Amino acid sequence: MKIEKITCKDVMSHICESLGEDLDSPKCVEIKSHLDGCPDCTKYFKSIEKTIDFYKKYNVELPEEAHNKLIDLLGLDE
Amino acid sequence: MDEQKLVEAAKNGDRKAMAELVKAFEKTVYNFAFKICRDPEKAENIMQETFLSLVKSLHQFDGKSKLSTWLYRIVANHCLMEARKRKYEFVSIDEENELYDKSYAAGWDSLPSNIIENNELKKILDSAIQKLSPDYRVVFLLRDIEGLSTEETGKITELSVPAVKSRLHRARAFLRNEINKAFEK
Repeated sequence: MKIEKITCKDVMSHICESLGEDLDSPKCVEIKSHLDGCPDCTKYFKSIEKTIDFYKKYNVELPEEAHNKLIDLLGLDE
Repeated sequence: MDEQKLVEAAKNGDRKAMAELVKAFEKTVYNFAFKICRDPEKAENIMQETFLSLVKSLHQFDGKSKLSTWLYRIVANHCLMEARKRKYEFVSIDEENELYDKSYAAGWDSLPSNIIENNELKKILDSAIQKLSPDYRVVFLLRDIEGLSTEETGKITELSVPAVKSRLHRARAFLRNEINKAFEK
């Protein structure tokens, strides 16, 4: 039986599926080996990681006023 | 006092313990609500609703999951209800082929590490995620940003593990493509 070669599209789809998952699975090992020889997929992989990182670092401060209003609303002020 | 003891004390009417719990989780709840709504006023309203639900329903919390997981569920439900009421039009990402186009992230390697402080990037991130349907948004935020497991994300969103994975990879690819398009302009 002929084994079909993994394509860049398979890699891109699986990268998305597997980030944060078990990276030692047979499919992930195959993906890693594809990434070693494919600069385009490596760039794609990095950009997905960076996308997650951007959103992770985009945080907001809870305004003091919002905190006070909440405590007041819940009747928990000392 | 650890979380379990605080919860028990709060369930027994200890107001100081309840205030401690609110203080421990208000920033997480506010940030998560903001990340879904991208609006400070809505985030504040949802935070208030969430803690009102906490005060009202803490006696139903059985302690089998973490309190934060329980709070994430309340926030997510409030946000999804809000979004459904408003009936916004979101971009459909049902078409798999459109997600994996040939435009690679050529310029991303050279981005400075502190680029997130750039307001222009924040606008791009806000605009990209606002196009994403809240059902996908919540999965992306719980799994990738808040770091919950696929199983926990599934429980909160009432989705199967394969459904969480499918929404997650579509959401990631969609956001990455939207950001890439903005960088190319």
